[in-house]
Amino acid sequence: MREVAVRLDEARRREFRYSLAGSTGLHGLVFLVLALAPVIPSMSPPASIPVRLVAPAAALRPAPAVSRPKPPKPPKPALTVLPTEPVMPKPAAKPKPEEPPPPAEQEYEDVLERLRSELGEPAPEEPEAGPVETAAVGVARGAPVSPEVAAWLKNARIHVRRNWVVPPAFEMQVLVAEIRVNLDAAGYVRGMPKVERRSGNPWYDENVVRSIQKASPLPAPPEAGKWTFVFYSDRDR
Amino acid sequence: MRSLVICTLALAVLGTAAVGRAQDRPAVLVTPGSARTFKAAVQSFRDGSATPKLGRAEEFRGWLEAALTYSNVIEPLKHAAFLGPERTGALDGEDVVCSDWSQIGADALVQGELTLDTEFAVEIRVWDTARCTRLVRKRYRQPASADPGVVARRIADDVVESFIGVRGVAATEIAFVSNRKGTSEIYVMGADGSNPRSATANGSINRFPSWSPDGDSIVYTSYRHQDRPLLFLSSRGRGRPGRLLRRLGDAYSEYRGVFAPDGSHLAVAMSAPDRASEIYRVRPDGRDLRALTRSTAIDVAPAWSPDGSQLAFVSDRSGSPQVYVMEADGSSQRRLTFQGPYNTHPAWSPDGKWIAYESRIGGQFDIWLIDPEGTVNVPLVQHPRGDESPTWAPNSRKVAFSSRRRGRADIYVIDVNGENLHRTTRSGGDDTSPSWGPFPR
Repeated sequence: MREVAVRLDEARRREFRYSLAGSTGLHGLVFLVLALAPVIPSMSPPASIPVRLVAPAAALRPAPAVSRPKPPKPPKPALTVLPTEPVMPKPAAKPKPEEPPPPAEQEYEDVLERLRSELGEPAPEEPEAGPVETAAVGVARGAPVSPEVAAWLKNARIHVRRNWVVPPAFEMQVLVAEIRVNLDAAGYVRGMPKVERRSGNPWYDENVVRSIQKASPLPAPPEAGKWTFVFYSDRDR
Repeated sequence: MRSLVICTLALAVLGTAAVGRAQDRPAVLVTPGSARTFKAAVQSFRDGSATPKLGRAEEFRGWLEAALTYSNVIEPLKHAAFLGPERTGALDGEDVVCSDWSQIGADALVQGELTLDTEFAVEIRVWDTARCTRLVRKRYRQPASADPGVVARRIADDVVESFIGVRGVAATEIAFVSNRKGTSEIYVMGADGSNPRSATANGSINRFPSWSPDGDSIVYTSYRHQDRPLLFLSSRGRGRPGRLLRRLGDAYSEYRGVFAPDGSHLAVAMSAPDRASEIYRVRPDGRDLRALTRSTAIDVAPAWSPDGSQLAFVSDRSGSPQVYVMEADGSSQRRLTFQGPYNTHPAWSPDGKWIAYESRIGGQFDIWLIDPEGTVNVPLVQHPRGDESPTWAPNSRKVAFSSRRRGRADIYVIDVNGENLHRTTRSGGDDTSPSWGPFPR
């Protein structure tokens, strides 16, 4: 009986020694980690990682509150110039130090859309139901373009449209005119736009050229140079 | 030399690449937005008269702006918004600062000088402010005693034409029937309702006025002779006023006549005693009479196509009044309307694209448009109190008609797209049967 008691004491002591050694080791490890922590580089995200959203702005949810220093706001234009339509091929991330300011037309269109929905009016035609449609020479219709170009195409369209007067006399005819416009980096029309495809109605063609010059400066294009504008008189196109 | 050639070739290759790149860019596709009227800044014209009169230029500007507004193509801007001078200085001596006008949203700047001495003369300049180019430079003259508002309306029509290539109709006239003074007489007014005056005052019943192609005369039906309907002419030009078709004597009842587009013939709905009405073609003096329809049914309301090759008319040969079309010699008669039990009063648009007509649907008459082939048929204007007697403006952009929508019948004008309804008569009587005259010469 005593032998049994001695064995139990021995086992307890061994267990105690093992526990003590383990505990000391763990504490040492923790101490080591704490001691070395200042020299490990911070894992918090740098403030300047460019973020590119590919989902509609409406689908975004506010991030949960985190008690850490607020990173500086990303440049606002990056939000406003994003296409609201389905996913475009994502280009390689590159810094964009000189984004144009948010175009007022975008807000104007948003307000109009809200008012229309409040009044129950149908939305005006918005041909970009999928990837932005293209119609340049050498580019197949419907071919996808980069988000940057797509955004500019949309903003340029809205801007020119606001400056284009289409009296019913033109609207009731089916007229199409195509003009080539030389834009500088800031969006200013340089020189006289050239009518590439005439509509058959010289007053319509003249009116189209007038609208482009009236619209100058346009939103700054992705690239300075010659751009093609196609004007359709048919509102329901 | 070799390096020069290499440089030139390199530049050529780069240039070609640049062009190719521009061509590969996607195009901006633009469809119409909400802007449908051009904005015009109309300066107060310089008064170059020997004895300038205070307010003359301002009054003239008021007429001009009203005529521009009537076009529904050009809308005058408020003078308070002007950044540039409100009054025209020297017409050719001063530079126009286009940015002053484009900044306030003006598509056009209208400036001019008027002179009232032995005659009334106005000289104008119209500028396209976006391109800073002059669109119109024109001089107008008329006797000093004539209505200066006519010149203002002509200027407005020319300004409209310089922007859309279609002449405005503010300076045209509309003839109509009114009983405002008791009996039904023929009246004439400006297309915007200005300056109404009577063309007949015979105390009888007068109906269905229709203009000659030169705008100098109006043919109309009057019961002034033995209470029988006969065709008469009212003229302010070379046409001899009085009875037409005199050569036919009393053989026919002449219900309605319309001049062919070249003025050489009339299409007349008339009937011999105890016979139904037929459509005839005849010279204005009654020679070369030829029946175009020969049916036991009633054929009335002829309307020429703009090229004079066809006629629309109304016949009840199918059992109910419907619009038909035939060649000018009476051949190839075909039914055009099949909608509803009562379609009448066709009017062929001057551009030949549409035939306006009255259609009774659900007890009311409305104005509909149908193309000459009968493939497209659309309502132009509808009202529970009915719309009747359509007539086309000479530019095919507007239609006048009569309606009792305010109780008594008035003449209304509406754009061909169904917008911009405009009441032109405000008399105490019934104003009916409008007929829109041609462009003034």
